[in-house]
Amino acid sequence: METLQPASITIEEFNVISDIFSQAITGELIGMSNFASLVETIDDPHEKMEAVEHANSERSHAEGFMAYAKKKNLKININLHSPYWGNVRKQFLSYAIKKDFIACLIIQEVILESFAVSMYTDVANALGGEAGRLFHNIADEEKEHLEHSSDILRAELNKDPKAFIKKFEEIHFNCMTILAEFTATTDLRGHCGVCNGDCMKGALHHIGLDVTVMRGNALALYASALDNIGIPGEKSIIWIARLPA
Amino acid sequence: MDCQAPSLDFAIIGHQENWQHITALINDIRTPRLEKLPVEKIKSIFSFIPPRDVFKINAKSKTGAEANGVYIETFIDPDMLDAQYIRTNISKVMNAVAFAKKLGAKVVTMGGFTSILLEGNFDSFSPGPSKFTTGNTLTAAFIVKGVEKAITQYGINLQESNILIVGATGDIGMACTNYFKGKTKKMLLCARNKNRLQKFALELIKDNILVNYSIVLDELIPEADIIICVASSTNIQMANCKKNVLICDAGYPKNLETTIDNPAAVHLFHGGMGQVLNGYSINPDYSKSMYHYEAPYISHGCALEAIVLALENKFETYSTGRGNITNDKMEEIYDLSLKHGITVAPFYNTKGLW
Ligand SMILES: NC(=O)c1ccc[n+]([C@@H]2O[C@H](COP(=O)([O-])OP(=O)(O)OC[C@H]3O[C@@H](n4cnc5c(N)ncnc54)[C@H](OP(=O)(O)O)[C@@H]3O)[C@@H](O)[C@H]2O)c1
Repeated sequence: METLQPASITIEEFNVISDIFSQAITGELIGMSNFASLVETIDDPHEKMEAVEHANSERSHAEGFMAYAKKKNLKININLHSPYWGNVRKQFLSYAIKKDFIACLIIQEVILESFAVSMYTDVANALGGEAGRLFHNIADEEKEHLEHSSDILRAELNKDPKAFIKKFEEIHFNCMTILAEFTATTDLRGHCGVCNGDCMKGALHHIGLDVTVMRGNALALYASALDNIGIPGEKSIIWIARLPA
Repeated sequence: MDCQAPSLDFAIIGHQENWQHITALINDIRTPRLEKLPVEKIKSIFSFIPPRDVFKINAKSKTGAEANGVYIETFIDPDMLDAQYIRTNISKVMNAVAFAKKLGAKVVTMGGFTSILLEGNFDSFSPGPSKFTTGNTLTAAFIVKGVEKAITQYGINLQESNILIVGATGDIGMACTNYFKGKTKKMLLCARNKNRLQKFALELIKDNILVNYSIVLDELIPEADIIICVASSTNIQMANCKKNVLICDAGYPKNLETTIDNPAAVHLFHGGMGQVLNGYSINPDYSKSMYHYEAPYISHGCALEAIVLALENKFETYSTGRGNITNDKMEEIYDLSLKHGITVAPFYNTKGLW
């Protein structure tokens, strides 16, 4: 087994990389579970098959991260019921139960994928090498999910703008609030339940990252995704400004 | 309806002057129900936000016409306006331009720092139906008409006065110089780039205009009876001014008052500003945090240029490049603005109305 040796990286780097992989694997497994639940909400057989395919793609991302973590003997902690990830999943399920396909799409493919694409890209650039390539490749695939959903959601907006924006706003505050708290400089709701020791956010500088920049980039991508769907700027600025910071 | 109206007469692209204004605006958007965010937290997010329309504007003409537009915020960090951040800022302005085009704004003004893009040789403005303007022609017109009004008020004789233009080689500075040349005793010109300044001054001298020029402001100030400051710089020091000198601070941000050694001895007003007599409204209404003037319906000349053009259905690239503002154009846009009840703003400075 290959191990990330303390000779090549410091213990602080090892710990923060382990926590990053733990978060990424947990996030992918949440995504997989969400897409699997989404299958139930869809009547169209082609869309149904596509949701299964997406669940499988999230599974393969989780596997990819797990394989790398195993190879490098990283300290991995997976916790699907951790406060933040568990709450995101609960939010998703509350809409899945109602067979609300559009709401599920907004949570999984706009909100979560915006954060995944942006944060994976930042991590990829910081880590470089094999780990960097892995994060880059997965970010590229997640980007496709984001783009795919924009087309569907744009059409939905055009059908009934007022109702669509009202619904999106509700979902935004239910879900983005959790992610905003999760990515604040300090955990606004206590320990995330995934990191091995203390919150990794304070240790990101060991690999040249900064949680403020990562969060800013993620919010920027989310804001652009909202623009792409056609949410008016005067709405999206209110949504973003009213998040916890 | 919540969605963008399909027809948008105008858009104003801009940026905030300082973090104090930004903090007030963001906390206004958050509403009093949510805890107030301190400036440090706002700083950690604000400049990441991509440009977007923040509120709608409806302006009313005295002719009964109305124009509908939006304000597009660039989210430029006000502490990062220096040359070293030019790439980041230009990319933000380009994104704002793309946003204005996407919204289908018929005429778009580039306020404050953002006009740099139209003054340079950037070709991000065509193709497409949106027309872009720096708004500098109406700004320059409000500056010169404002100065004329103020000298009447103070009984200053223009022909016996020396006018100092700080930022004389800039787009607005050249327009003001060309307007006042031949009407004053002497023109005093200042800018930092000696070659450009010399070239411009020599053109005036060739026309038999009495000119003194220098890259050292201190050499010109003691001679000046009237000073128009249109330098795109935040650190202009005004020392040794003549007693009762008239100063029009039209730069951005307007902070000359803090650098004058004896502010009580000068008459300073914030120039380049106009007032919409029939009013304008913004929606959502952030005026509580965004409106900083002592009189109603005041706005920057550059923003008002887009509104005047929209009210006139004159959707064209009115002000572009550097040094293209003619006296005829200034008179034309000023007359159009008066036609719609948009006049030089009442005189004010940080202490309030004169
Ligand atoms: N009130 C309004 O509505 C309104 C509207 C538009 C613009 N503005 C403001 O008006 C100002 C001028 O705009 P513009 O478009 O004419 O800008 P511009 O074309 O960039 O011209 C700026 C001028 O200032 C000079 N300058 C810069 N720093 C200086 C310094 N420290 N000392 C002396 N001269 C200096 C420049 O020459 P050198 O580089 O050679 O020094 C140049 O002559 C800006 O501050 C702008 O934000 C106000």
